Amino acid sequence: MTDVLTLLRPRFLSMKNRMASAPRRGRVPVRFFYGAAGLVLWGALFALFYRVLKYFKHVEVFGDLLAFKLLAMSLITFFALLVFSGILTALSKLYLSRDLSLVHSLPVPSVKIFLTRWLESSVDSSWMVVAYSLPLFLSYGVVYKAGVLFYTTLFLNILPFCLIATTLSVLLVLVFAPVLPAGRMRSLSFVLGVLVFLLLLLSFRLMRPERFANPESFATLLLYLKEMGMANDPWLPTTWFFDSLRAALSGAVGKTLFHTALSWSFCGSLVYLTAGVARPLYLKGLSRSQTIFRRRPELPASRRLRRPGTFQWLPGPVRAFALKEIRTFLRDQTQWPQLFLLAALVVLYLYNFSVLPLERAPVQIVYLQNLFSFLNMGLAAFVLTAVAARFVFPAISIEGGAFWIVKSAPLSARTYLWIKFMIYFIPLLLLSELLVVATNILLRVTPFMMALSVTTMFFLAPGVVSLALCLGALYPDFSSENPAQSVTSVGGLIYMTLCAGFITSVIALEAGPVYTIFMGGMRGVSLSTLQWVWLGGSFSAAVTLCFLAFAVPMRIAVRRLREKTDR
Amino acid sequence: MADRIELKNLTKLYGSLQAVRQLNLSVGEGEIFGFIGPNGAGKTTTIRMMGGVILPTEGEIHIDGISMSIDPVEAKKRIGFIPDRPFLYEKLTGREFLKFTADLFRVERELFDRKSDEILRLFSLTDRADELIESYSHGMKQRLIIGAAVLHEPRVIVVDEPMVGLDPAGIKLVKDLFRRLADGGTTLFLSTHSLGVAEDLCNRIGIIHRGSLIATGSLDELRQMARVQASDLEAVFLKLTEEETSS
Repeated sequence: MTDVLTLLRPRFLSMKNRMASAPRRGRVPVRFFYGAAGLVLWGALFALFYRVLKYFKHVEVFGDLLAFKLLAMSLITFFALLVFSGILTALSKLYLSRDLSLVHSLPVPSVKIFLTRWLESSVDSSWMVVAYSLPLFLSYGVVYKAGVLFYTTLFLNILPFCLIATTLSVLLVLVFAPVLPAGRMRSLSFVLGVLVFLLLLLSFRLMRPERFANPESFATLLLYLKEMGMANDPWLPTTWFFDSLRAALSGAVGKTLFHTALSWSFCGSLVYLTAGVARPLYLKGLSRSQTIFRRRPELPASRRLRRPGTFQWLPGPVRAFALKEIRTFLRDQTQWPQLFLLAALVVLYLYNFSVLPLERAPVQIVYLQNLFSFLNMGLAAFVLTAVAARFVFPAISIEGGAFWIVKSAPLSARTYLWIKFMIYFIPLLLLSELLVVATNILLRVTPFMMALSVTTMFFLAPGVVSLALCLGALYPDFSSENPAQSVTSVGGLIYMTLCAGFITSVIALEAGPVYTIFMGGMRGVSLSTLQWVWLGGSFSAAVTLCFLAFAVPMRIAVRRLREKTDR
Repeated sequence: MADRIELKNLTKLYGSLQAVRQLNLSVGEGEIFGFIGPNGAGKTTTIRMMGGVILPTEGEIHIDGISMSIDPVEAKKRIGFIPDRPFLYEKLTGREFLKFTADLFRVERELFDRKSDEILRLFSLTDRADELIESYSHGMKQRLIIGAAVLHEPRVIVVDEPMVGLDPAGIKLVKDLFRRLADGGTTLFLSTHSLGVAEDLCNRIGIIHRGSLIATGSLDELRQMARVQASDLEAVFLKLTEEETSS
């Protein structure tokens, strides 16, 4: 036990030293912002669950059934999340951490190192799930006016619940690590996890849950509710947790203790079994993870890139960086899920527009179609901002320790930034145009709105990309293992704020003139000279703003990169 | 002999810390100049300024007569820069990294095809050329960086700790390569902790201490300056830096 505590000490000391040292300039507002956002989300979750449960409570016959089904489903979701995050954390902690060579060179049995890492992994992978599951549990407590028994049961059960999930993850990782290198396993788990999530998300959305708000659909619900009465699987840890909470809510102390004891006894046995499995397997897996792996089979895209002629038409430095960025992206499997996410986002985005019940609205359809199309420009621009935050903002940080190559290359800061700009601008412009054109086709808008949307996106996209690149250059993080996280810095916050201001201003400048033109067209009234002057002024101001949003950040970023040399 | 490297009043401040102060130095064509000094003396800072990786606070750097502050792109075209830590693009293969460097320096395709194979063979990387750099050892990465730095046939090579991470065969290989390059007229400026390397390779040696150049000259000249009988550079180095510390 002393060894385990000693091995945990660097973690506590680092935490203590981090808190004792003064935060870096600009970190305080960022921490405050994220802290406040977290609290707001927490409160919103509580309010949501409270309202839903209150509503259920008033539904006769089915009310409690619905409430407890929601609890059972939530517990299964939490458990799945814990297992998934446990796998990723355990792989990092047990096999991929940088300090593992140091720790394993110490005169400590490997099983103790394993136990330390298991503890750390359990805490790291479960604290957030616990924090964000509390609003749900508390809302049950409040709505069902629960007493001390419920809260004590919650406290006594949440611990084994998390430990069972994370220990199962560790056990899974322990068994597979000697066969599959940990790095490969992490990428695979991440890809599979995101795919399953996307599949669930897409199937949920394509099920069109909004139909259930329609009373006519209630008939189909009867079958569903009949199925709800079925008991949960008695072998699942989620069932033990669920049964404990349900018993506590009804005040049945004996039942509560029985189910809680089931959780704890299983948890204890599982930890014992895992420690036993770790003895022969942990070191084998660790040494497998340290094995140098040979190059994986090439992707078709990267094979194409090698052929002479592909990209050959580009100037040397542009070709060099374009190929480097594409290859680096395609060969990093942890990046792929983000492409899947992006694809799913586009599908859902378009699908939502395709099922808009415009015909049921009391307003003229043609008016609504064009209003949505106009608002859609802003929405698409915000999607573009989010995508740029993920891919363009870290474009400078992604060079990492290899930034010396850029600095010592015969390439001016201006050229380097332009190369980066073009690499990201073209695909992002295509994405944003795809969003507005496809939604406009679905909405069957007028040719004027189509032209306006395409032109507006064409002018907005350079500004958004330029702002992301500029703020990314002003707030780079070359030392991070995951450069995508650089967007969580103060720079990311400024970028988001500036983009929101920029997009809103352009849309606001266009709103008045577009309304005037559209209504004039609908009523068959021609515009006065004064209105034409106003139109010209507004559109010119929007174009000027777009130009400034593009040119000024690029200038600042070039200057910053020239000066940013004292790393 | 024309000056390939010229440093004039080169100064670098990190806040109030003077990392390099008023450095004046010139290195001629085909010369191998060794830059030695204790830890934190300002060697790496000087090298990084010469490579264009960091900007000087004051002073001028001329590479092959081109000012690094006025035309950094042209100056860098003439340099092969080798840093002390081999950070590379891990998701590229060794061959792809060489092509990346060739494209940056606008090396012609035919020259690249010929030279890249030659470099890979020379540095025993041919078998691993199509594997990702992330699977390379520290020494292999260092060899790849050295190979990439000589690919565009630079007139000046600036190296920070060239032998770090190399095995004895690698050290011999690099020493031979540097000698051959110098014989062909390439100028080499290398900083090192290894006095043996400096003694073996360099025509002239500069000793930097606390940011200032305290002595330059051939080994014989330095020995006279230090007034020591011992023949090795270690004794000379210790004597000169000790005198400077106590003065």
